[in-house]
Amino acid sequence: MILVVGLSHRTAPVEVRERLAAGPEAHAAMLGRLSARDEVTEVMFVSTCNRVEVVALASDHGGDSAKQAIAEELARHGGLAHHAELTPYLYDVRADDAVRHLFRVAASLDSMVLGEPQILGQVKDAYDAALAAGALKGKLARCVSRAFAAAKRVRTETSIGAGSVSISSVAVDIARHLFGDLADRVVLLLGAGEMAEAAARSLGRNARAVRICNRSFDRAAALARELHAAAVPWDDLEGELQQADVVVASTSAREPVVTRDMVKRAMKARRGRSLLFVDIAVPRNVEPAVHGIDNVYVYNVDDLEQEVALGMKGRRQEVDLAEKIVSDEVAQFLSWSRGLEVQPTLVALRAKTRAVFLAELERSIGRLTHLEGDRAALTQMVESAVSKLLHAPTSRLKARASGGEDDASELASAMRFLFDLQEIGAHKASGRPPDPSAGVEEDERLPH
Amino acid sequence: MKLELVDLLFGVTASVYLAASALFFASLFGWPSSSDDASAAPARAARWAPRLVAIGVPLHATHIVAASLVLHVCPVEGIHFAMSIASMLAALVYVLARPRFHIDVVGAFVAPLALCFLLASRFVGGGAAPKFRSAILPFHVAANLLGVAAFTLASAAAIAYLVEERQLKQKNLRGIFQRLPPLDSLDRAEHRCLVAGFPLLTIGILTGTLWAHEVEAGGAAEIIRAAFGYASWTFFGGVLLLRAAAGWRGRRAAYGTIAGFGCTVLVLLLYLVRDAGAAAAVAVGGP
Repeated sequence: MILVVGLSHRTAPVEVRERLAAGPEAHAAMLGRLSARDEVTEVMFVSTCNRVEVVALASDHGGDSAKQAIAEELARHGGLAHHAELTPYLYDVRADDAVRHLFRVAASLDSMVLGEPQILGQVKDAYDAALAAGALKGKLARCVSRAFAAAKRVRTETSIGAGSVSISSVAVDIARHLFGDLADRVVLLLGAGEMAEAAARSLGRNARAVRICNRSFDRAAALARELHAAAVPWDDLEGELQQADVVVASTSAREPVVTRDMVKRAMKARRGRSLLFVDIAVPRNVEPAVHGIDNVYVYNVDDLEQEVALGMKGRRQEVDLAEKIVSDEVAQFLSWSRGLEVQPTLVALRAKTRAVFLAELERSIGRLTHLEGDRAALTQMVESAVSKLLHAPTSRLKARASGGEDDASELASAMRFLFDLQEIGAHKASGRPPDPSAGVEEDERLPH
Repeated sequence: MKLELVDLLFGVTASVYLAASALFFASLFGWPSSSDDASAAPARAARWAPRLVAIGVPLHATHIVAASLVLHVCPVEGIHFAMSIASMLAALVYVLARPRFHIDVVGAFVAPLALCFLLASRFVGGGAAPKFRSAILPFHVAANLLGVAAFTLASAAAIAYLVEERQLKQKNLRGIFQRLPPLDSLDRAEHRCLVAGFPLLTIGILTGTLWAHEVEAGGAAEIIRAAFGYASWTFFGGVLLLRAAAGWRGRRAAYGTIAGFGCTVLVLLLYLVRDAGAAAAVAVGGP
C-alpha cells in the first residue's frame, strides 16, 4: 500500500518546517535510513520550504507500522527527542488517497501558491535521488512517474500556471512585455530597504546592471555589496533616470521623489527610449502624471496587487479542470495497480496448471514410448489447453480488479485456497511483495 | 503549363493563407471551442500559424510564375498581379524577420493581407496599355513592390505596437496583451522595415517620375496617384528623420508609419480603380 507521511504549510508553522528542511547531504542520509527500514519496500523523500513528505510503499497491510517508522525517522532527521513532538503537525494519507495526494502535489494543486512551477522540479529531484539510491524500483516508481505525467498534462491543458501571482513577478512580467530580454537593461532602485532588496532579487537577476540610489549612501553601498550592484549618490538621481530602463521606487519619502518635469527632461536625453517605473512605496514616490508621458509607464502598488488578484483568480478558475485531469490520471494508475495486485495469483495459477499438465504428459510419454517423436506437438497442445482453460478466470479476475470491485481480492484469495497456490505464500513470508512487473503482459503496462 | 494547375496552386495557396489567418485570430482572440483543452489551443494555433505562412510563400510565388506564363502577362505590369507579388514579398519578409524580431503576431496582419491580394490577382488585367509601356516601368514597379512589402510589415508592427502600448497605459494586462511580443521588439521591427523600405520607395518615386515624364502621363488620375506616392514618401521619411534627429519612437512613429502606409494603400486602390474602369470601358466597347 502506498503511504504518504509528512507535514506542510497547511499543518505546520515555519519553525517546524525549517527544522525538517534538508540540504543535499541530510537528504541523502534520510533517504538511506528510510530505505533501510523493513517497514517500507520503496521510499521517496520530498523536502521543500513548504513541505516535508515521505512517500513509501508499506510492507504491512494497514500501513501503521510503516507510518510509525517514518514518523520516527522524521523526528530523528529534525533532531527531536521523540516522534510524538511531531504528531500534532504530521498527516498521513494511504492507498488511493495517497496516490491522489501525490498527483495533486506534483501538479501544484496543493501548493501555497497555486500552480507554482517549482514543486514539480523539486519532486523530480526527490525521485531522481531515490532512484539513484535504489529506493524506488517498482510500483511506487511507476506511481511517481505517472504523477509527473499528470502534472505535465495539467500545465499544458490548463492555465493553472498562467498569470503572475506575486508583486515582484508582476513587475518582471511587465518589464518583459516592455523590453523582452532584460539582459541588456539597467535596473535602478530608489531606496535601500527590504522591499527594494526583494525587487532587486527578482528584477535584477537577469538585468545587465543594478544601481542603487538612496538618501543614505552608506546604506545603498551596503546593499550594493550584498547584491553585486553599484551604489550611486542621491544627487545623481536625474542623471540615473537617463540611464535606467526599470526604476523600482520604495523610499519612505512623504512626497514624490520623481516628478513629471524631472522625467520629461530625462526622456529628452533618453531620446524616447521606454522607461518603466515600479512604484511599490506608500505614499507613492513617483508623481502619477509621469504615466502620461510618452513611452513612460508607471505601475504603483495598487496596480500590481490588482494584477496579483487577477492572476490568482484566473488560476483558481482552472482548478476544476486540473482536478479532473488528476482524477483521470489517478483512475488510470489505480486500474493498473489493482490489476497488478491479482497478478501474482494469476501467475501462480498458470504456473501450477502448466506444471501439472506437463508432468502428466511426461508420465504418459514414459508409458507410451511411441509418442516420443510427437513430444513437441504434445507440449504445444498442453500449452494451448492451459491458455484456453485459464483465459476466462484470468480475464474476469483482472476485470474485477481493474474496475476497483471490492470482491477482487476475495476472489484471488479463493483462487489461492482452492488451487493451493503456495507461491503467493512464499512472497508474503519474505515480507516483500513480488516484482510488480513480473508476469504482467506487455499490453497491460502503463507507458512511462 | 495548364490552367488547371494554376487554379490548383491558387486554391491551395489561398487555403493555406486562410488557415494561417484563422489560426492567428484564434491565437489572439481565443479559441471557439468548449472542449477541455481549450486553454492549450491558442498556444498551438500561435505555433502553427507562422509555419503555414512559411508554407504559403513558395506556393504563392509558384502561382505567380505559373499564372503569368499561362496568361502571358508580365506580372509587374498589371496592378492586381503586382499587389499579389507585394503581399507575397511581405509574407516572405515576415517569415525571414520573425525569428530575429519575435514578431509572430504581425502575421495576423500579413496572412489576411496576402490572402486578399492573392484573391485580387484573380481579376488580373492585361498589363499596362501600350502607350504607358517603357523600359523604366519594370524597375519602378519592382522597387515599389519591395517597398510595399517592407511597409506592410512596418505598419503591421505599428498597429500591434499601438494596441499593446494602449493596454500598458490603461494597465490592462489581460487578454490579447499576453499574446503580443515585447513593445520594444515591435518598435525595432517597425524601424528596421522602414529603413529597408524607404530606399526602395525612393527609387520607386524617382523611376515613377521619370516614367511619367517619358510617357507624358499627366492626367488627373496620374497626378493624384503621384501626390499620394509623394505623401507616403514624406511620412516614411519624416518618421525616420524625426527618430534620428528628435528621438521619435513608439506611438508617434507608429502613427506616422500607419499614415504613410495608408497613402500607399490609396495609391494601390487608385490603380485598381483605373484598371477596373479600363476593363469596363473595353467590355462596353469603349476605348
